[in-house]
Amino acid sequence: MKIAILLSAGRHPVSGAAVLPRLEAQAIRLAAGLGQHIGLHAGPEAAVVAEALGQGLAHIQHAALPEEADPVPALATCLAALAPDLVLAGRRGQGGAETGIVPYAVADRLGYPLIPDIIAAAPGEEAGTLHLDQSLGRGARRRVTIRGPVVATVHPDAPASFAYAYGQARRGVIEPVVGALAPHPAPVPAVEERPYRRRPKLVKGAPAGSSAAERLKAATGEAGPASSGRLLVRPDPDEAAREILAHLRRIGVLAAPRDPR
Amino acid sequence: MTRPRRDPRAERAAIRVPDRDGARPRYDRSARRPGGGRPRRDPRAERAGQRVAGPLRLRYDLGQVAPAEGPVRAEPAQRTAAPTILTVEAPDFLVVAVPDMAGGRLSAHDRQVLGAARILAGREGGVAVLAVGAGAGYGSAGADRLISLDDDPDAYDPAGRAARIAATLAALKPRHVLFPETLDGGDLARRVAVRMREPLFGNAEGLSPTGLIRPARGRSIEQRAAPGLLATIAPEAVAEYAGPPREARLLPVEIDASMRGAQEITQEILSAIRIPADPATVPLGLAEFVAAAGNGVTDLDTFRRLVAVLRATPGASRVLCDAGLMPRQTQVGASGTVLAATCYLALGISGAPQHLQGVAGCEHVVAVNTDLHAAMIERAGLAIVQDAQLIMPALLRLLGQEAGDPGDAA
Ligand SMILES: Cc1cc2nc3c(=O)[nH]c(=O)nc-3n(C[C@H](O)[C@H](O)[C@H](O)COP(=O)(O)OP(=O)(O)OC[C@H]3O[C@@H](n4cnc5c(N)ncnc54)[C@H](O)[C@@H]3O)c2cc1C
Repeated sequence: MKIAILLSAGRHPVSGAAVLPRLEAQAIRLAAGLGQHIGLHAGPEAAVVAEALGQGLAHIQHAALPEEADPVPALATCLAALAPDLVLAGRRGQGGAETGIVPYAVADRLGYPLIPDIIAAAPGEEAGTLHLDQSLGRGARRRVTIRGPVVATVHPDAPASFAYAYGQARRGVIEPVVGALAPHPAPVPAVEERPYRRRPKLVKGAPAGSSAAERLKAATGEAGPASSGRLLVRPDPDEAAREILAHLRRIGVLAAPRDPR
Repeated sequence: MTRPRRDPRAERAAIRVPDRDGARPRYDRSARRPGGGRPRRDPRAERAGQRVAGPLRLRYDLGQVAPAEGPVRAEPAQRTAAPTILTVEAPDFLVVAVPDMAGGRLSAHDRQVLGAARILAGREGGVAVLAVGAGAGYGSAGADRLISLDDDPDAYDPAGRAARIAATLAALKPRHVLFPETLDGGDLARRVAVRMREPLFGNAEGLSPTGLIRPARGRSIEQRAAPGLLATIAPEAVAEYAGPPREARLLPVEIDASMRGAQEITQEILSAIRIPADPATVPLGLAEFVAAAGNGVTDLDTFRRLVAVLRATPGASRVLCDAGLMPRQTQVGASGTVLAATCYLALGISGAPQHLQGVAGCEHVVAVNTDLHAAMIERAGLAIVQDAQLIMPALLRLLGQEAGDPGDAA
C-alpha cells in the first residue's frame, strides 16, 4: 500500500520556531504500520519539514512555491502523480491560519472521499479497501470500511509518534518535485489582525443579565442541579435503588431496561 | 455577550407621578425595576413592621427572631405566568444554525450556536435551525424557523449530508450559516465550505453583529472579520439564548431535484460501525459515567459486580487505593484523575476537598453515605443517607429483575 502524508510548515505556538505538528508525526506512525510512505510538502522552504525525516519518514517530496501561493493545486497535482491509496493529514495546521480546510480542498480537487479524525488504520479484507477507526470522543469509535483512494485526517487520540532519531534524519532525503508548478495566488481573507486577548469564560448556568450574586452562585455550583438536590434519609434500600436507577435513566447514562414489563 | 440596553429616560418617564401643582416632577420608585436580580428591600416597611402598637411614644421591637411584616416584596405574579411566544412574521434575512444533534438532542454547544445566530439576526432577522430528524426545544433555544433535513440521522455519509445542506442553503439564500466547532460540526462546515466555494471563518471565539474573532498562529494573534456566509463557533464562547421562547415554525424548502448532489451518496463507504467505548477499559478521565467506592464500602466484590452491570467505569477514593483494594489508576481526585464525566455515583465517600476537586467537572452526582453531614451529600443532586452495603445488593437485585432473570444480575 502506498501512503502519502501531507506535511505543513508548523510553528511552535510559544517560541515561533519551526516544528513538525504533533498530528503529522502521529500520521507518520500510523503510516509506518501500513506500508510504503512518502511525505509531501508544498511551500517556499524544504528545511521546515526536515524534522519529519527524524520521525520515521525516509522520503519527502517538496514542491517549491512562492510564499503567498495557494498550496492546494500543487498538492493535488503531486498527489495525482503519486497515486497513493491513502493520504494522511493533520486536523489543523499549527502556527498559520489554522482553518483546517486544506485536506478538504485537496480531497475535493482529487475527487477522493475524506474521513476525518482517524486514530487507527488497517487494510481491509478486500483488495483496495481500508478499515479506518474514527474517534467520536470519550473513547467511542466508528469503524469505517472504505474503498480507496481516500484522504484521512488524524485525531490527537491516535498512537503517539516515534521518538526522533538523528541517524534517520541524516539518511532521509528531501527531493524537489520536477516540472514547473504554476503558482496560484491564495485567496486573501479580509481579516484584521491584532494581538490575542483572552476573553472571560462564560459562567455556565447564569442567566443573561444576571446580578453578580447570581453569577457567583452559578460559578460555585450552588445554583446547578446540586442546589435543587433530592435528599432521602434512611429510605428502604429497594426504594432507594429504584430512585437511583430512575435518576440515572433521566440523565441518560443508563440504558432503559431491555424488556419493559 | 450583549445585554439589552437600558433607556433610563424612558424608564423614568414611565414612573412619573402625574402631579397637581406641577412645581417639580415626582416619581414613584416603589415598583421593582423589571429584569433586576434580587428582590429589593424596603427599609421603611420593615421599620413599620417592627413598630409596637401602644402608647404615645414610638416603640420598636428590634428582636431579630420574628420576621418583620412585609420586608421583602413578593415577586410580581405575572413573571411566572406562561411566557408569550415571540414571532417574527417576515424576517428581512435568515441566519441558519446547523446543530450537531448528537443523540437526537440539542447539546449545550448547539444551544450556544443558536444563541450566536440570534445575536447575528438582531431584531429584523430570523433564526432558522437546520436539523436532521425530529427534535424538540428549538423554540426556547431561540429558533424562529425550523428546516427539517430529510436525511437518515444514523447513517454515516458526511459528504452526502454536506451536499444536501449545501443544496438547501442554495435554495434558502441565508445571510449567515453557523456550525458548532465539534468533531462532527467542524467536519460538516468544512465540507459545505469546499462544496459551495465559500471561505469559512473557523473556530470563532468572539461574536457581535459587526464582527467575528478567531485565534490564529497558536493563539498569538486574533483575526477579526465582518461575519461572512459560513462560520463555526467555539465551545463556551457565546451565551445561550435566554429570552422568551420563539415559535420554531416549520419552513418548507423547495430543493431543485436537479441541483448538484441533492440525492448524492458516497459510494466508496462500504460500511460504518459504531463501536461504543468499553467502560471497563476507557481511561477514567474520558469516561462518561463513573461509579466510585470509598472507605464506606467494605463489600468490594458486590461493588465490582454493580459497576459491570451499570456499565460504568470504576473509580475509588484515595483511602481504597492506598490500602491496595483498588488499582491506583482508579483514584479520583487532586492526586488522581480529574473527571469529565456526565454522572458520578459515589458510594461511601465523605467528599474530602482533595476528592471533590476531581469531581468538580461532573454535571450530575449521586451519593450514598451513612453520614447526613458529609460534603458529598451536599454536593449531590440525588443524595441517599443509607448503608452502601444495603443499597448495592438492592441495585443489583432490581437490575437483575429488569433483565428478566430474578436472582442473578447479568
Ligand atoms: C495531599 C493530599 C492529596 C489527596 N488526594 C486525594 C485524591 O486525589 N483523591 C482522594 O480521594 N483523596 C485524596 N486525599 C485524601 C482525602 O483527604 C481523604 O482522606 C479521602 O478522600 C477520604 O476518602 P473516603 O471518603 O473514601 O474515606 P472517609 O473519609 O473515611 O469517608 C468514608 C465515608 O463513608 C461513609 N460510610 C461509612 N460506612 C458507610 C456505609 N456502610 N455505607 C455508606 N457510607 C458509609 C462515612 O460516613 C464517610 O463519609 C488526599 C489527601 C492529601 C493530604
